[in-house]
Amino acid sequence: MERRVALKSMAMAVGAMAGLPAWASGWSKSTLEKGTLLTADQSKILAAMVETIIPKTDTPGAGELGVGGFVQKMVTDCYDSKAQASLKSGVSNLDEQSIQRFGKSYSDAGKEQRMQLLQDIDKGSDTGQKAFLGMVKNLTIQGYMSSEYVMTNLTHYEMIPARYHGCVPVTKG
Amino acid sequence: MANFNIDSTKARTYDAIVIGSGISGGWSAKELTEKGLKTLVLERGRDVQHIKDYPTTNMMPWEFEHRERLPKEITDANPIAARCYNFKESSAHFFAKDNEHPYIQEKPFDWIRGYQVGGKSLLWARQTQRWSKYDFEGPARDKFAVEWPIGYDDIAPWYSHVEKFAGITGNKDGIDTLPDGEFLAPHDLNCVEKYFKESVSKQYKDRHIIIGRAAHITDPQQIHLDQGRAKCQHRTICERGCPFGGYFSSNSSTIPWAMKTGNMTLRPHSVVHSIIYDDKKHKATGVRVIDANTKEMMEFYADIIFLNAAALNSNLVLLNSTSSRFPNGLGNDSGVLGKYVAFHNYRASISGEYEGFLDSTTDGRRPNSGYIPRFRNVHKQETDFLRGYAAGFGANRQTYNERNGLGESLKAGLLETKYGNWSVGSHMMGETIPKESSYVALDKTQKDPFGMPMLKINVGYDDNDEKMIKDYIEQVSEMFTQAGFKNVKSHDGHRNPGNDIHEMGGARMGKDPKTSVLNKWNQLHACKNVFVTDGACMTSTSTQNPSLTYMALSARAVDYAVKEMKAKNL
Repeated sequence: MERRVALKSMAMAVGAMAGLPAWASGWSKSTLEKGTLLTADQSKILAAMVETIIPKTDTPGAGELGVGGFVQKMVTDCYDSKAQASLKSGVSNLDEQSIQRFGKSYSDAGKEQRMQLLQDIDKGSDTGQKAFLGMVKNLTIQGYMSSEYVMTNLTHYEMIPARYHGCVPVTKG
Repeated sequence: MANFNIDSTKARTYDAIVIGSGISGGWSAKELTEKGLKTLVLERGRDVQHIKDYPTTNMMPWEFEHRERLPKEITDANPIAARCYNFKESSAHFFAKDNEHPYIQEKPFDWIRGYQVGGKSLLWARQTQRWSKYDFEGPARDKFAVEWPIGYDDIAPWYSHVEKFAGITGNKDGIDTLPDGEFLAPHDLNCVEKYFKESVSKQYKDRHIIIGRAAHITDPQQIHLDQGRAKCQHRTICERGCPFGGYFSSNSSTIPWAMKTGNMTLRPHSVVHSIIYDDKKHKATGVRVIDANTKEMMEFYADIIFLNAAALNSNLVLLNSTSSRFPNGLGNDSGVLGKYVAFHNYRASISGEYEGFLDSTTDGRRPNSGYIPRFRNVHKQETDFLRGYAAGFGANRQTYNERNGLGESLKAGLLETKYGNWSVGSHMMGETIPKESSYVALDKTQKDPFGMPMLKINVGYDDNDEKMIKDYIEQVSEMFTQAGFKNVKSHDGHRNPGNDIHEMGGARMGKDPKTSVLNKWNQLHACKNVFVTDGACMTSTSTQNPSLTYMALSARAVDYAVKEMKAKNL
């Protein structure tokens, strides 16, 4: 009986998984809505960070594509507590650095100032901050490359190829 | 249950009962209902109807909020299932959850289960090779386990029967270790796979590289269209359930086919407790079921019973079916029930690179790969280990994107796909030896959440397996090196038994009732109206994937059972 009640409340909690029957959404995390890891301000900093990693050019950057939210979701749901702590402290440290050096929050800093802060981490000796940057960079790349915008407009994902040819010439793309 | 009135008993009486709706149960149901028998199919999990109940099948990659990775909470709660390659965000709903279905590991054993209509037929890797005469003759020649009561010729027509209906892609390769079947158009080997095939055939008379034989409709025939299935679309996301019915599953094929006869009743949420044996009639009269939702115990009755609960669960049901005639489990006069369990050994793999064909690549996707049929100890014993291994083989053109730097240079690098060398890889599929010491048994005290005794599993690797792994690594590395592949590396993943999802045996077939549980018709020696045609029946394991053999044995056993029933011999 307890299980049934649990399943029911689970089904209500996962409104985000609309369209899936209860038994399927039962597999999604019951606590997905348990709140995010970062505060609203920290989330803005993370968004600015992923936009700096993959910026807007003639196509949207990672910030505009919502990759910051993806990075945070992955770390919250799929990573261990150590990685979660690293994300939190990494964002705070990045912001402190920004305030110290440029007198403003990372999310308000200029494009070049933001980039400089990341490059300093990259070249610096703080292994904790380096690990933080590496984790965010990897997840940013994953989130960006698997975003609807990129897969639809830039890398042209085929859901249904309906073919396999074992030997075709390489074409320069 | 003695107070059921007569009408209720009648309403619970069928001509046949099939326990389980996976690959073999689906076939039992199809064949029984086609022959006109009113058949009850019991499934312990929920119903999964073709297309309607495949919630992820049409989702795009970006629609998975964790891009196929599962939340930690789920992998932590399901450490066994999480070790399965196919347990991911798009398919996890087709796996049994560890904590809801506990069992006892006397040795590490990853028991991977699919508890729903269709069972693991929604999740399988779809490789379907026939066994050869060498596989059926193995135990007698090499003096292990017991002799198979059937040979290749007994089952060959039934392989044809099921291949035509299921739809199998493959090439007629004319190899005696791997008999040809009724094939639809083969998939392509790619340039490096073809090159490796030539390289190997120059060096060895008896080693072959072929395209895999797989349950995909590459060229739909009328019989497939009649099932409502269509051509494989090469999506390679099969584990979500295929809306085209492009690959064979019970859900897209045998179960709806059986339903259409009007003779099938499907009862999901039915955990089978035991088979009821009547001491006076000297036969089984029905099945005791625990309703998974209400936990209510109920009984259903039939003239013949097909047990297709999947290998280890079929053992569990038989072991739990006790009576004064069978105090140690139904049909267990020999005492071997639950013993001589074996599996396939997928532990080792080999990778490498090829620097040729750099002006070529592949196009599209292929739900299949190359295959190396067994070549060791085939015609005679030639190594210090028994039996042999088959292997998968595949090549892919590597592509990569520069991930250096940050900012615009990183972005430019990510969006320019570059070609590297071809990567090549192989994994072993080894035959393991069924032994008396490899067993499953019921725990005397611990019960699962349904009130069933918990299954204890005691199955592990042995010295023969270790020697075979070593030989596979040596031989295939040598074949790679001869082909000029570079950077050849071998890897022993030390995965637990069970993770290969090919557990077999426990209620083995045999000629002698003193040493086996089933006869050559998959019929209990000691209870003629009960048939077991899933992995539990296997006397030995071969190197080939077992599913096609379960299908063929099921169809063959039903044909026999119905004839015997009509002749009033059951």
